[in-house]
Amino acid sequence: MVFDVFFLQQVINGLSIGCVYALMAIGFTLIFGVLNVVNFAHGEVYTIGAFVGLMVITALAPPLLAVVPLVLAVGAVSGVGLERIAFRPFRRFTDEASQKSRAMREATLLSSLAVSIVTREIMMHIFGGDMQGIPSGYLLQQPVAIGPIMVASGSLVIFATSAVMLGALQFLLYRTQTGLGIRAVSNNQLGARYVGINTDRTIVTTFAVGSMLGATAGILVGLYDGAISPHMGFAPGVKAFVAMVMGGLSSIPGAVACALLLGVSESIATEFLSSGWKDLITYSLLVITLVFFPQGLFGHGRERA
Amino acid sequence: MPLDGAQASNTAVATRRILEVRDLTVRMGPQEILRGVSLDVAEGAIVAVLGANGVGKTTLMRALSGIYRTSGGATVFDGEDMTDSPSHEVVRRGLAQAPEGRQIFGTMTVRENLLLGGRTLRHDRAARMERMLELFPRLRERLTQKAGSLSGGEQQMLCIARALMSKPRLLLLDEPSLGLAPMVVKQIFDLLVQIRSEGTSILLVEQNARAALRVADHAYVMEAGRVTLSGSAADLAADPRVRAAYLGG
Ligand SMILES: Nc1ncnc2c1ncn2[C@@H]1O[C@H](COP(=O)(O)OP(=O)(O)O)[C@@H](O)[C@H]1O
Ligand SMILES: [Mg+2]
Repeated sequence: MVFDVFFLQQVINGLSIGCVYALMAIGFTLIFGVLNVVNFAHGEVYTIGAFVGLMVITALAPPLLAVVPLVLAVGAVSGVGLERIAFRPFRRFTDEASQKSRAMREATLLSSLAVSIVTREIMMHIFGGDMQGIPSGYLLQQPVAIGPIMVASGSLVIFATSAVMLGALQFLLYRTQTGLGIRAVSNNQLGARYVGINTDRTIVTTFAVGSMLGATAGILVGLYDGAISPHMGFAPGVKAFVAMVMGGLSSIPGAVACALLLGVSESIATEFLSSGWKDLITYSLLVITLVFFPQGLFGHGRERA
Repeated sequence: MPLDGAQASNTAVATRRILEVRDLTVRMGPQEILRGVSLDVAEGAIVAVLGANGVGKTTLMRALSGIYRTSGGATVFDGEDMTDSPSHEVVRRGLAQAPEGRQIFGTMTVRENLLLGGRTLRHDRAARMERMLELFPRLRERLTQKAGSLSGGEQQMLCIARALMSKPRLLLLDEPSLGLAPMVVKQIFDLLVQIRSEGTSILLVEQNARAALRVADHAYVMEAGRVTLSGSAADLAADPRVRAAYLGG
């Protein structure tokens, strides 16, 4: 019985970590959807979300609920800036040779990697490489009893925020003109141009939305873990990328399900195995998926030209 | 700024031109694919562009829709310059295309495809969709299905209906008959006459010259990036060169 309660607590912890991976993975998936290119700087958006959140907290001591819209705004701005710097310059070429060229794809890939490294270095320069503590008044570590189970308040906040953001995203994608446009560009960019969609604007919007989710994940984890650093975006970035690939590259529900699966597996693994095994779990799941389900667990066989 | 010319009188409906293309050139890297194409579409007309594979018909259509940039020449739409307008601008101004390869949104529903086609409409989107479903009743049965699951003929109808959703003044059609059974081709070409009668002029690219000349008022023949022949559809259908090259003798 003790074991069961304990196990349940681990599952809940895992789900909250999984939600963070999911918020990240959605951003990856949305951006990959409209561009067919992986955005390597997504982890840095997460870090920026956490640092700007911390700066605002230490400077203004706002109520916690006011931090979220601010971080959303910061995420949107970083997403737009990232698209301008790392992606747009490579979209000037419309002839078939450049569009199909591997070199062009790799150049875009490297440019976002470069932006990611430069951003991290700048943050190291400003904040130093060490962990920065979050003021204790903002920490989300109070235990909350739900029946026999003790859950950190941070987990509950993460669940609630993720649920709201997922709901808002579904509304955006399925109930608004903007969302219809994002889905159209993801499905068929040329087709989108023929119906008169401004694809550049849609791509910018997608970066803004994806980065809003990523930045929010960053500040939530900061408040939950109690410390942030310029490197904090790397690990969740990798996990979210794995979740996207496992989910089939273009499926948001798939990415979310796989992110939750990763979070829970890791959380259980750290409790029963030594913590060094945690990352092994993620990569083993990735390899197993790719070997047995090359289209991902939820893929519909999108072409990956 | 409409240009003077005798050709406009070829159509009985009107002499006003909805589209004028003057000496249009398009380059792709080192290659000049369009080498100075000129043509007119009179308001209310159905105009066909014929030509073998690879002569540049699709390139012309893409340049007109703002997908490709031009390297010379001009297009005038409804009396105003439209040279190199971006694709989203072109649709807003009243020129829509049912492109080669259809380019429908296969993972989205038929309904969503139509809504996307009508996104430039400010109001009456529902009424417009209703009109499209009257014109293409097959689509009504498939409204909630994924567009990718439709048959080839249904996809072509969806593609045309999607373009018409924006209530265009001019509809461009790039090989609507490609890969379709003769019955379906006839059905689609019969609809073109209907569409024209509702106020949409049509510029049609076809390799199926027989079907195209049957509905067209005027036609152009392209070879290697140039217009080499033009005239009323009846004249071209009787022309021995056209008969030999495109109508099987
Ligand atoms: N995006 C492109 N990049 C390079 N060459 C192209 C491109 N599009 C078309 N071409 C070339 O232009 C020529 C005309 O093609 P196209 O306009 O598709 O002909 P058609 O539609 O008449 O069959 C062909 O030789 C084709 O290879
Ligand atoms: Mg063609």
